[in-house]
Amino acid sequence: MKGKKSISLLLTGSMAICLLAGCSNAGNQETASQKEDLASEKTTEDPVLKVAVFEGGYGTSMWTDVVAAFEASHPGITVELTIDKKIEDVISPSMKAGDYPDVVHLATGREAGLTETLTKEKALLPLTDVLDMMVPGEEVKVKDKIIPGFLDTLATNPYGDGITYYAPMFYGPCGLFYNAGLFEEKGWTLPSTWEEMWALGDEAAKDGIALFTYPTTGYFDAFTYAVLASAGGIDFFNRCMTYEDGIWESENASKVFQTIGKLATYTEGTTVANANDDNFTKNQQLILDNKAIFCPNGTWLPGEMANAPRADGFTWGFMPIPAVNEGEAGYSFCFFEQMWIPAAAKNQDLAKEFVAYMYSDEAGKIFAGSASPAIQPISGISNYLTDDNKLFYSVYDNGANVVMGGFAATTPVEGVSMADTLFGTVNSIVSGDKTVDQWQTSVEEVSDKLREAME
Amino acid sequence: MKKGRARSTFIGLCITPALILYILFMLLPTFGVFKMSLYKWGGYSNKKEFVGFNNFKILMEDMNFFRSFQNTILLIVLVTTVTMTLSLIFAAILSRERIKGENFFRIIFYIPNILSVVVISAIFSAIYDPANGLLNSILSIFMKGESSPILWLGNQNLVIYSLAIAMIWQAIGYYMVIYMASMSRIPESLYESASLEGSGKIHQFFSITLPLIWTNIRTTLTFFVISSINLSFLFVKSLTNGGPDGATEVFLSYMYKQAYTNSSYGYGMAIGVVVFLFSFGLSGILHFVTKREHLEF
Amino acid sequence: MKRKKEMGFHTLYRIFIFVTLGALTISIIIPVSWVILASIKENSEFYGNPWVMPKGIYFQNFIDAFHKAKMGDYFFHSLLVTSMALIILLIVSLPAAYVLARYSFKGRKLLNILFMGGLFINVNYIVVPIFLMFVDGDKFLMSLVGNRFLLNNPFILALVYASTALPFTIYLLSGFFVTIPKDYEEAAYVDGSGYFRTMMKIMLPMATPSIITVILFNFLSFWNEYIISMTLLTKDVKTLPVGLMQLMQAQKSAANYGQLYAGLVIVMLPTLVLYILVQKKLTQGMSVGGLKG
Repeated sequence: MKGKKSISLLLTGSMAICLLAGCSNAGNQETASQKEDLASEKTTEDPVLKVAVFEGGYGTSMWTDVVAAFEASHPGITVELTIDKKIEDVISPSMKAGDYPDVVHLATGREAGLTETLTKEKALLPLTDVLDMMVPGEEVKVKDKIIPGFLDTLATNPYGDGITYYAPMFYGPCGLFYNAGLFEEKGWTLPSTWEEMWALGDEAAKDGIALFTYPTTGYFDAFTYAVLASAGGIDFFNRCMTYEDGIWESENASKVFQTIGKLATYTEGTTVANANDDNFTKNQQLILDNKAIFCPNGTWLPGEMANAPRADGFTWGFMPIPAVNEGEAGYSFCFFEQMWIPAAAKNQDLAKEFVAYMYSDEAGKIFAGSASPAIQPISGISNYLTDDNKLFYSVYDNGANVVMGGFAATTPVEGVSMADTLFGTVNSIVSGDKTVDQWQTSVEEVSDKLREAME
Repeated sequence: MKKGRARSTFIGLCITPALILYILFMLLPTFGVFKMSLYKWGGYSNKKEFVGFNNFKILMEDMNFFRSFQNTILLIVLVTTVTMTLSLIFAAILSRERIKGENFFRIIFYIPNILSVVVISAIFSAIYDPANGLLNSILSIFMKGESSPILWLGNQNLVIYSLAIAMIWQAIGYYMVIYMASMSRIPESLYESASLEGSGKIHQFFSITLPLIWTNIRTTLTFFVISSINLSFLFVKSLTNGGPDGATEVFLSYMYKQAYTNSSYGYGMAIGVVVFLFSFGLSGILHFVTKREHLEF
Repeated sequence: MKRKKEMGFHTLYRIFIFVTLGALTISIIIPVSWVILASIKENSEFYGNPWVMPKGIYFQNFIDAFHKAKMGDYFFHSLLVTSMALIILLIVSLPAAYVLARYSFKGRKLLNILFMGGLFINVNYIVVPIFLMFVDGDKFLMSLVGNRFLLNNPFILALVYASTALPFTIYLLSGFFVTIPKDYEEAAYVDGSGYFRTMMKIMLPMATPSIITVILFNFLSFWNEYIISMTLLTKDVKTLPVGLMQLMQAQKSAANYGQLYAGLVIVMLPTLVLYILVQKKLTQGMSVGGLKG
């Protein structure tokens, strides 16, 4: 019976694909495919907004809820939601064929790099209009509703020209996770500078506990950004991100390379072997097993490791990256995801309305109410935070400095990748295959090449 | 005359479908690869810029490409020599010695070859696990007290060999069955007369078996080159993804990285062209170098 | 004295043989059975030592993999695509290989070289040009008949599979056809049998062992293929290895190891069964022709 059903499903499925030319994928959601059917029955004048969403750790239900709420507040509009863990693979074939979604929620820094590719190709719509729009159903402009600072970064204005192309979504602090129970048990105090870090590392080594581990070198983006900002301030950080000539060989940059170089010697021995996409949870497990003290990560970590066994008395702790300069506060990189509108989108006005709606209290509440809460960067959001989340989101209230953004977009340069050079090399530093000086020199070389491609 | 036409029609009818499919889905796309290697294109927009041989010029200065080149050649040489030696030995043992359960060994040895690379990678990432892996837990029995575990996939000098072991493990059975098939065609009488002359087993292997299956070995050399390039990509993609820090990057994984992750599609295709010419050239050279007088039995 | 020494060498040699054979056998049996055992473990058993025996049979993994991860659907897609591709491949390659091996005609040498050259074309880099070709084709069809069917079509995927397997298959089959003595055909012609009839009734039955080898080889490569499938089937219709890749992706955020290994078993079981069924014929098919060079 089951077999028969599957085959008939397959046949109707492939027929539907043939018939629904022009519609992008229905995802795995039954509701979405029903909507698709509805959409094809309606006359073409009724607007259908195609929204493509990356299914991160937050799950799918909050998106279906938000879409339903949007449709309820915008009568006559149908949203066709495509949501997938590998959304790039789902939408990019149709995009190459010239069939674009109207709105895409997909962060930068993904392995497939679709957002970066479209940015490099200048295929995004500027969101200047959206910022001046009123939040749907509210009396406040979008740009005033968004928490200050979120629209001034390279992670929203990728070309560094002050024009916003990415709408900031779901923010969260990144920092060092640790076992608070272990600190209590051993009577250690939390280090706030790197000098205190090394002292703690030497102390812990006596008990056979390593100071540091990391999931993969990909997690060094947030980590390095925080160390950069801590070494030379936000202005220095931005100059690094825009590939200023010689900046990576400056004194402040040297401090950063040397700090990470020294940290490499305190890194747990098996980390490099598991620092890949298949085995990174084994590195995260080191924290739970009290084999390493600190691990850089984001707020999703406790959820990711929820089923894993752990040492007795384990409780999650979270702190900013220690200060490079004595007497200063530590930094925490603020991670957020991006939503954008392809320049080739058909329903641009509707797409802008949808983006603006993301900053309404209504949407913010639904996102924050998800099983693993997604926090929108809008004023008043703290009212919806749960206790667990307050631990992470209070990091800035407790004195940590915030740093946001990322590298400026460039046109593609063949054979050159900043992520590989700056972050990927960390594996070689830890294993001793490259020296810190070699690392620093090659980063400056890559920076030189990318600067020329910035236009 | 009439018969001649019927014959031509028959030949045409037999060849044409294969030819059409081959041209449409093999030759034309290959032509597309060559063509795109002359363009600068990110992969999405309509901005395709003709740059001549510029992609190849950049390639000549790209140290990461040379590293992937080196790794590929190392894997081809290593995997080919070890796999060929072992599979010849096993084939000779299984077809010459009267061993109980010969059939059993033959069936078992072929199993790795039928598994998906995804399955094999899952197996090997568990074997190579530094803390709980099979390999290290066996080794720790012999090296008591040695505290630091061997990082099979973490040590940059080691990881390429770990990869080679997985590839050899996968390939032995396949080539063993091929060699067994051709060894079984060697007449038993040759061995009998050699035994009478007092020639030992090892001597027989080099004086009878090897020369008589030489043409077969030559053919498999071409397969080795082609499949090593292809399989090294599939293994790298699912086992190490080129890491740590590019230590296991091979031809095709680097091509994918450039074409998709680094939005340099034309550059990626230029690498594709080099891979094509390289495998073609290497097979040609091997074919030429291994030329021997053909022996018949 | 001398005789005794020889005996000693002989025993040593036997021991050597059994040790090497045994070592390779163990290195294959243990990991494969480990995957099968892991597929019936509960999720909590995956942390810590992976070589611990499962506490019990946790069959829920397979049920979850089949339903939640849709491996059941993908299984049927894979079966459909693989069998269609095999049928197309055999229909197309058998006559071509036969004619190329046994008829001399103008351009035969060129065609042989052409198909041989195909062995060097790596599927991994022509897949995107194929994809782009389909994109253009779909656009054209859209404007022509308001319909498109090249992408996301299992039949087209099967057609591409069959095409990419042509060079190797034709090479293998012609290798066999060349070895058959001319007498068979001549006898058939004398009896008044036509070209087509001769091929169907006389030559193809003789080629059965080689055909089985071809079927097994290509079944394995089609069944396990994921690069082309991932590119050409982008919507709900996915094949098993692509589904498995997705499952592994999902596993990273949800840590569903049990389901993952159940998925691995679902992928490898059909190939194991088919192999066990035809393994005897495999050596036979290769020895009567094929890879003679």
